[in-house]
Amino acid sequence: MSKKNRDRKYGSAESKGGNELKTFYWVIAAVAIVGIGIVGYSVGSKAMSPTVSAPIVLQGIDDTKLLEMANPRVKGDPNAPITIMEFADFQCPACGGFFAEVTPQIEAEFINTGKAKFLFYDFPLVQVHPNAFLAARAARCADDQGQFWPFHDTLYRTQGRWSTLQNPAGDFEDYAEQLGLDTGDFTDCLRSDRHADVISASLELGTKLQLPGTPTIMVGSGPGMRRRVASTIEGIREGVAAVQTGGG
Amino acid sequence: MTSEDSGDPDDSGHPRLQPPPRNRMVVAVLALIGLFIALYLLSYALGLVPLLCGVSSCETVQMSEWAKVGPVPVPALGVLGYASILGLAMLGLQPAFADSRAIGLLIFGLAAVGVAYSAFLTYLEAAVIDAWCIWCIASAVVMTLVFLASLPELRRGART
Repeated sequence: MSKKNRDRKYGSAESKGGNELKTFYWVIAAVAIVGIGIVGYSVGSKAMSPTVSAPIVLQGIDDTKLLEMANPRVKGDPNAPITIMEFADFQCPACGGFFAEVTPQIEAEFINTGKAKFLFYDFPLVQVHPNAFLAARAARCADDQGQFWPFHDTLYRTQGRWSTLQNPAGDFEDYAEQLGLDTGDFTDCLRSDRHADVISASLELGTKLQLPGTPTIMVGSGPGMRRRVASTIEGIREGVAAVQTGGG
Repeated sequence: MTSEDSGDPDDSGHPRLQPPPRNRMVVAVLALIGLFIALYLLSYALGLVPLLCGVSSCETVQMSEWAKVGPVPVPALGVLGYASILGLAMLGLQPAFADSRAIGLLIFGLAAVGVAYSAFLTYLEAAVIDAWCIWCIASAVVMTLVFLASLPELRRGART
């Protein structure tokens, strides 16, 4: 606004109208500074966080150590005679379908009955699913607070949303909050490199096993005894039956 | 246009000074606040920031089918709406446009559309999605206040 025009219309800066306008501009500036500060800080702090969202290079790890490091999450009786293993990627739609359709049947038929235990291995295919590694780390961060499976379930149920995001860390923090986790600890974990070694080891293990994709399901009954089966309840039933009759 | 609005000389020959339209100042400040709320929600929709949500269920609302209009996130419409209202209010505070009926009616019209859409979204939260997003409610409140602050524009329009 030209000062001359403003003075002619509203009066000079010292007049009532001029003072009102001056106060108004101060208020606008204050709101703008606060707003830019809050939004800018939120975006900036997220962008600058050292969040590891891709596999790291593991050196000098032999197969035994790799198996140990991969550290699958276990559901069911650890002493159950049969083991059902899933290598999965949280961002893979087929894994989401497996979770929704097959996992409840596995639980009902094999886990809850004590016939088998279920092992979840991370196999994040980051080339095609850029958020998969961070999702796997987020689940491990939830595991630090004893909430791996609830977080695992939430990730699959919300897969359609966070899969499309450039950076889903904020969503994962929301899920942690909704599950009642200590969000401070969760965020500290997520915005770091914690568990990147475990996920990378699991990924390396899957690669060495030459897995064809995700989900890959295996059924076994002891160390080294496993057979790959179709990722359907029928395939798993057949696999369990074969293992029980010594065909594992 | 009345002499009160025009700044024409009064009986004593001195120019009659008028205060800037106060309702437009209020509209501008509110629209700026609403703009930042919408920007924050848009940043969340784009995955740029986490959403601090307290006890409400922002994620449920933001993940619902109503969170987008086609490919456009609803907060983007909010940013557009608030930015337009802010721009018009700032323009309407300039001496050359202080009496502008067109600007006043545009502000009122945009605010009316905004408050109607906010009411619709609030209805969806209550009756369809069955979850509340505190930032969405905050935006609806701000838009309602913008609408109320824009009501004097009708009087200004009728007078000029």
